Order: sequence, then C-alpha cells, then structure tokens
Amino acid sequence: MARYGMALDYKNCINCKACEVACKEENGVELGAEKHRIWVGGNNPEGQWPLLDIASAAFLPSQCQQCDEAPCEEVCPTHATYYDENGVVRVDADKCILCSYCMNACPYDARYVDDRTMTVDKCTFCSDTRLARGETTTACQNTCPTKVRTFGDLDDPNSEISELLRTREHFSLKSHLGTNPKLFYLT
Amino acid sequence: MKIIETSRRKFLQGSVALCVYATSSFSSPIFTTKTSDKKVKDIPYLCNMCRNKCAGFARVENGTLTKLNPNQYFPKSRNMLCPKGNAGIQALYDSDRLKYPLIRIGERGDGRYKRVTWDEANEYIKDKLLKIIDEQKDNRSTVAYCNGEGFNKDEYIKFFGSKLGSANFLDEGSICLNTKLGATQLTIGDIGEMDVAGSDYMIISGANRYESLITPDSVDMIHAKQKLIVLDPRCTMTAIKADEYLPLHPGTDLAFCLSMIYIALKEELYDKAYVKKYFQDFDKLQKHILKNKYTAQWAEEKSHISAEKIERITREFFAASHPLYYLGRRSVWSANDFQLRRAMVLINALAGSINRKGGIIFGKPFRLKEEEITEPFYNNAEGRFDLDGIVYGSQKGGSWLNFREKVINQTAPYTVKVLFVRKHNIMQNMPNITKTKKMLTMMDLVVVLDTMPSDTAMMADVILPECTYLEREDMVVSFNRLEPSLALRNRVLAPLYESKTMQDILKGLGKKLSTPLFEISSKYDEDLQDAIKEQGKTKAFNEGGYNLAELYKDDISTRNKKLILTQFDENVYVSLKTKGVWHPYIENQKNLGNDLYEYYPEDKRFYTVQKKYKVNCFLKKLQKYGFDAMPTWHDRYDFKPAKDSFRVITGRYVTSTQTATTNNMMLKDMKETNRLWINAQVAKKLEIEEDDYVIVTSSVSSVVLQAYPTNKIAPQVVWFAHGFGATAQELTNAFGKGASDNMIIEDKFEKIYGCATMHETDVNIRKL
Repeated sequence: MARYGMALDYKNCINCKACEVACKEENGVELGAEKHRIWVGGNNPEGQWPLLDIASAAFLPSQCQQCDEAPCEEVCPTHATYYDENGVVRVDADKCILCSYCMNACPYDARYVDDRTMTVDKCTFCSDTRLARGETTTACQNTCPTKVRTFGDLDDPNSEISELLRTREHFSLKSHLGTNPKLFYLT
Repeated sequence: MKIIETSRRKFLQGSVALCVYATSSFSSPIFTTKTSDKKVKDIPYLCNMCRNKCAGFARVENGTLTKLNPNQYFPKSRNMLCPKGNAGIQALYDSDRLKYPLIRIGERGDGRYKRVTWDEANEYIKDKLLKIIDEQKDNRSTVAYCNGEGFNKDEYIKFFGSKLGSANFLDEGSICLNTKLGATQLTIGDIGEMDVAGSDYMIISGANRYESLITPDSVDMIHAKQKLIVLDPRCTMTAIKADEYLPLHPGTDLAFCLSMIYIALKEELYDKAYVKKYFQDFDKLQKHILKNKYTAQWAEEKSHISAEKIERITREFFAASHPLYYLGRRSVWSANDFQLRRAMVLINALAGSINRKGGIIFGKPFRLKEEEITEPFYNNAEGRFDLDGIVYGSQKGGSWLNFREKVINQTAPYTVKVLFVRKHNIMQNMPNITKTKKMLTMMDLVVVLDTMPSDTAMMADVILPECTYLEREDMVVSFNRLEPSLALRNRVLAPLYESKTMQDILKGLGKKLSTPLFEISSKYDEDLQDAIKEQGKTKAFNEGGYNLAELYKDDISTRNKKLILTQFDENVYVSLKTKGVWHPYIENQKNLGNDLYEYYPEDKRFYTVQKKYKVNCFLKKLQKYGFDAMPTWHDRYDFKPAKDSFRVITGRYVTSTQTATTNNMMLKDMKETNRLWINAQVAKKLEIEEDDYVIVTSSVSSVVLQAYPTNKIAPQVVWFAHGFGATAQELTNAFGKGASDNMIIEDKFEKIYGCATMHETDVNIRKL
C-alpha cells in the first residue's frame, strides 16, 4: 500500500519526447498522436525576432494527473474506473462500455480510446508493468534525459518525492476544481 | 505563473500526424509489445541510434525485445535514453529492413534486385573485383570504401585499407566536424574534451544541444549551475533554455569571437600568467587583432548583436572562474569555419580554460591495445588524391566533396571503379545529391553493407544485410577523458533473417578474395614475386599477411575476453559482461537522488593532467599556402543574401538522427515530416500560411515541403531539418515525407580540411 505521486521539475523539460516513446514501448500503447498517455504542452517565446522573450516560453509535461478526487471515476456508470490500492486511477477493461463520460469529465483531457481493448485508457503509472514486477520507477521518469520527474510514495515521509514537496514550491493544474491531483509541478 | 495549455486537443492541433492516424474502424491499430509483470534478466548493450553510444539494458521476453532502459553505470550517458534510444526496438523490428543478400537485376537505382545466398553475393563481388583489380594492374586504390558508423570503423579500415590495400577511405568527418577537431589539435596539440558540467559560464555558437543531444553535455547543461549564452540565427530549444539568447546573422559567429578577443586584449582581461607560460606568437595575435580593430561596434555591424552585449558578455566570460566557449560538433557551416573554431579555442586559452575544470580538458582516457595484424605491402597501390589542394585535411577520413568532384570530373590520377559503403547514406548526407548519384553511376561495382534499404543501398550492385546493433557483440571501447570508462556492446538477440555482423560479412569476403587477389598481386608486384621465389607461395602469402580475414580467426567474444584479460583483469571483464560498463568507482557510485549518480568522486576526476603543450596562435603552414595564419575576417564573410532570397541553414529534430531514423515507426509517430521554418512576418507578406506547400530553389535544385511560419527565425533565413525526403520507396515510412536539405545545398567546401560548408546556400521561396 502506497500513495503514488509524481513531482515534475517542468522547467527542465526540453520536450525531447523520450518519455512519450518510453511510455509507448513499455505499455504497448497504440501509435498515433491521439493515443499518447503523455504529451508536452508548450508555448513559443513571445515577441518578434530578434526581440524574443525566451523566458515566456515554457514546456509542461502532461499526463493523467492521478486525482485523489477524480472526475472520471465519479462519472463512470459501470465503475470501470477505480482507485487501486496505491491510489492510482485505473481502468478495468472488462467493465468499460466505452460511453466516454470519463473523457468528457476529465479536465486534463488525459483519457483516450484504445482501439484494441475498446477501453477508454489512460496512464497507469506503469502499475501493471514496471511496478508489478517490483521496480520503483515509471518508464517516463526513468528514461528522462534531464530527470524532470520524481516518482514515489507520498505517504512515506522519507521518500524523495515527499522531501521535494517539503522543500520546493509547487503547484497543481486546475487546482480550483478540487480534483486534488497527485502530480505536482515544481517552481 | 503563466498558464500553459495542457489539453491533449490543443497539443493535437499542431500535429501533422493527426489526420494520418485518425481513428478509423477500417484501419488496424499499430502498437508495440507491452512489457509483462515478470522479472527477466536484462542484457546490457550500447545504443547506436546516433553517434553518442549511450548505455542501456535490454529486456527480452520469450525471445522478443520489449523494452530498452537506461544504464545507471555509464558516466557518459548519465542514466538516460533519449527518444531515439527508446525507439531502438523499432530499428530492430523494422519490417523494411534488409533481410537477405541482394544482387541488382535492373538499372542502377530502379530498385529491382534478386535474392541470393551469401555465397552467391560474395562470388559476384569476387568476379567483378578481380577483373577490375587486374585491369588496374593491382592498384588497390581503385577500390574506395567508406563508413559512417563510429563502431567497427577501425576494423573496416583494417580490412579494406591495411589488408586489401586501398588508400581511399572516406568517412563522415568532412561533412561533419573535422574543422573543429583540426582547429583544436593544431592550436593546443590535442582534440581534448569539453567539461560542460564544470563550467560556470558557457557560450554556445549554434550548437543545438537540446535538440541534437550529445551525452553527457546535454544532460550536464541542465543541471550545471552555469550562465548559458546561446548565439543562433534560429531560436532553438537550446536558445529558449539559455539565460541569454543572442540572435545573429548566419556565419558571423567569427565576428563575435574576434571581438571577444579584441576586448580581452584591449582591456587586458586575459589570464596573463597562463598566456606567458603557454602561448606561442602571442605578440603576433595581439598585433593582428588590435590592428584590425575588431571592436564591439565593428562586430555589431557584422553580426547584429549589440556592441553593449558583446562587451558585457566578454567581461562576464573573462571574470567567470570556469568559462567555456563550447566548440560544437557538426560544425562546418561557412568557409571561415576552421578559423572560427580556432578563435573559440583561443578564447578559452586566453581565459586559461585549458587543462582545467570547466574548460577544454585533456584528461586521461583508457588506451586500449590494438590487436596486431600483418599488413601486406602493395607496390602498385596509389595514394589518395582527395586531399590534393587541401592544406591539412584528415589523413584518415579524407574529403568527400573533393573526392567526388575528382571522380566525376575524371581529374583523379587514376580511376576509382569500386565503392564499398557501410552504414553511410552518401545519397543523402552530402550536398548536391545529383553529383553523388552521378559518382555512383560511374562505378563498376558498388557494394552496400547496411541494415536499411537507404537511398544509397538502392544504388548498389550488391546489398549485404548487416544486423543492427542489438544483434551483435562489439569490441570493448574506451570512452571519455574526465571520467574515463570502458563499455562493451553485448548481443541482445541473434541476427534476424539472414543478416550478419560486419565481422562475419568481412570474414566471408576475406575467405573468398584472399587467394585470388594474392594471385593478381603476384602477377604485377615485383617484390612479391621475389618473396615467392625466395619463400615459396604459401609462406609468402602467410608471412606477407595476405589473408584478409586474419583478424576474424576468433569470434568477437573470444577477442574481447582476450583483450580485456590481457590489459585489465577478470573483474573488469565480468563488469563489462554484466553491467556493460566498467570504471574504477562502479561499485560505489554515489546516488544523488532521482536516478542521477556521481561516478568519479570530484577529487578523482582528471581535470588537470601533466602534459606538455603550447597554444599556437600563428600557423605558419597556412601562411605558406596563402591562407590566414590567424583568425581573420574578410568582407566575403559578410551576411548579404540577394534581395528576396534567403540563406538556408540546417539542423535536426530531437527525434531523428540524420537519415537513419526517419523510417522508424515510433519516431515517425513523434515527428513525421520536416517543415520549412520561415519568419512569420515575412511569410505573411508572401501570403504563406502554416502547412502551405512551398518550393525552395537554390542554384543546384529545388525541393517542395510544407511551411512553418514562426517568430523564431531571422527574416532572411530559412531552416529545415536534415534526415527527411528519402527517395527509396523501400523505406515505406520515410518515403515521400518532407524534403532533403542536401538536394538544394550547394557543394562548396573549405580548403583547410576539405569540409563541406553547409550554410552558404541562398534560396528563393515560392508558394505552390
């Protein structure tokens, strides 16, 4: 039993897409831009060449925010979406009827249709792959060239992520919605 | 805090791939193999998706490679794998791979081949080769050979150069970084290594380290506490991540550097004790720079960077404790490139940033012993001609453009009739593809060893399928100087289809060719005739070293074990086989948290070593040949594209390595095609909108691709990524995607190293 979360030192993100590829290879995610479990949002620098404001450009690695109060779980009519024992928002493929309520409910747009299993799938924190075989990192975190992500147990006060969240300022996305994400962006 | 759009939909808007992969009930989903929840034994390997050679562990489940993960033991790659490294699985399982030996049955380039056995392929090569070498009276240099892959290059040279006797070896150096290597070697007597991690103030000219990843530099830049200044005509990811971005005109970095030197000399900012101890001809440099008045105001006119900034940055640089002017890699942009790199080395030297932390270090790399072979001597083998007219040039890899020019104009001192090509996509990698095609058409025999049906492979007479890096063990390699280590590429899977390792391919060829080639030599070579008279044929053959396959008596595993145990010990061998890496501190690497490690303890790193060297300001040889002996600006370097035309510059996407990766289905999923970066305001005037097709025309040819209007590029400059525009239909993912830069880049080369100058072509743009 753990309560898994992830801290993202997003200013270090260079949008190289190593995390996207690692995620797809590890979890056998379908190809195609619509199917990414991970993506990087971003904006170009403002201004006109040569007067560009490079500080205005930023890149934000995004994926399922692993909400403690997940709207996708709330709206699911068949309870296909559930919290596993580690607090990870998961999907039971057998129960999913592809009604897509979850896709509409998710404020982060983190869910997509897997055409093979006919499931509205999502990031699992590698729960059924890496974590299931006893590893302590997710594919995206492990491969990252600039080590943007820190993954770990939020309930363990000695974990790296707990230490980071104690010592670094951070924010969550769309925190006003009360979804209580377990992804934290370090400032 | 700025709100950044996090929506997947928003992200998709910019994605070309959307329409292609739009969910359709008629198309079957494409996916990769998911890893299981079972523990398996991971196999250490070295990546080969680019030149870096990062270390990783491969996960194989029931004979299928399912995942590649970073290796925490390798100081060089800092426990990471980039997108290309992760996508290596799809290089292995690419359905377009070359699977069997093939012999051409159609016209050259029309793609018609027949499948043959390895023996038939070797027999075909033998017949053609013997006829040609006989006709050429044993001039072995009629066989040219080239290789674009770092690993096994030396063995390839041993086969065709040392053993077969050709002088004509070509590699990627003259279309990549030879000016930088040469400039460093000739100025401080060593090519050195840049200590990015140790630098507290770094200036980068054009090198796009966050989209053209080099380990450990790219990783270290993010974590180092340093001020980063980036000069580039294009606002790259590296520029965005810099502390300060200085947009400038293409080809004017030298003006910036000269001005830095001027200010350092004028204001006496330089390290006087260092200069006194190490500089040769400092007075000449001083006189030259001051006399030419390379002031900040002068450099502003040339480069577009304000004089105030040049002065401030120069002062900051020389006031920093560990400043570094980063020398770059794929460096040959302009005719002034050799002296540009020299100027950078001199700036580092003036700051005393040589052989010390945060500068250009010499370090202490492990020197691996060479395996000894006997090299035959061929009296009738002529020397190389591609360095004629080149002042220095690389004696190893030569000058591609000079070579090609002499072959197609038939001005070489003898005819080159044969070309062996290994992992070198020459149809795409050098300027003016039409000329490369012509050169290949003039050959009587072209043999290509590769994993993919590249544009070059499809011009071959014989195609020999090599296995990928995941299907072979390679000889142990020594890496880096500051934190030296050894790394060994272990075999993950046995070669698929009928592909073979390079060693096995050369072994097969060697067996077939050795005796008949020896017979030809004995016909023309008087010394060999004497030896045969004296010793008899068998002894002359054996002692003369005519067995081309001598190196391959033992397999790689045996050779590796022998080499490592001779020079090191059992622990090192076991470490290399189980961890893929060895360095002296591997057992007690300090975990720095979040998957980062300290490899060598700070006090054990080779920042400063005992070494005798001088800083050479003045190169007499250059003066003798009528070139600048010191970095000098000439008016012809001014950035002046004709009215309404644009300077085209090239580079890469982070998801592709030259042309070798654009067929990879996973990387195609990330970036399917290249688009032309054009200044947004200029595009508006030309009524060019995003994704409009435009035709880009130079004096050489023209290409068509989609436009990407952006504020991130200068008005008179356009850019598109290298690696796209494949013409081989056999590359089903890459064919027809985007445009090839080398189709339109003019084939100019500088005369110091014979390197192609890639950023000297002006183009016109028209909307289609």
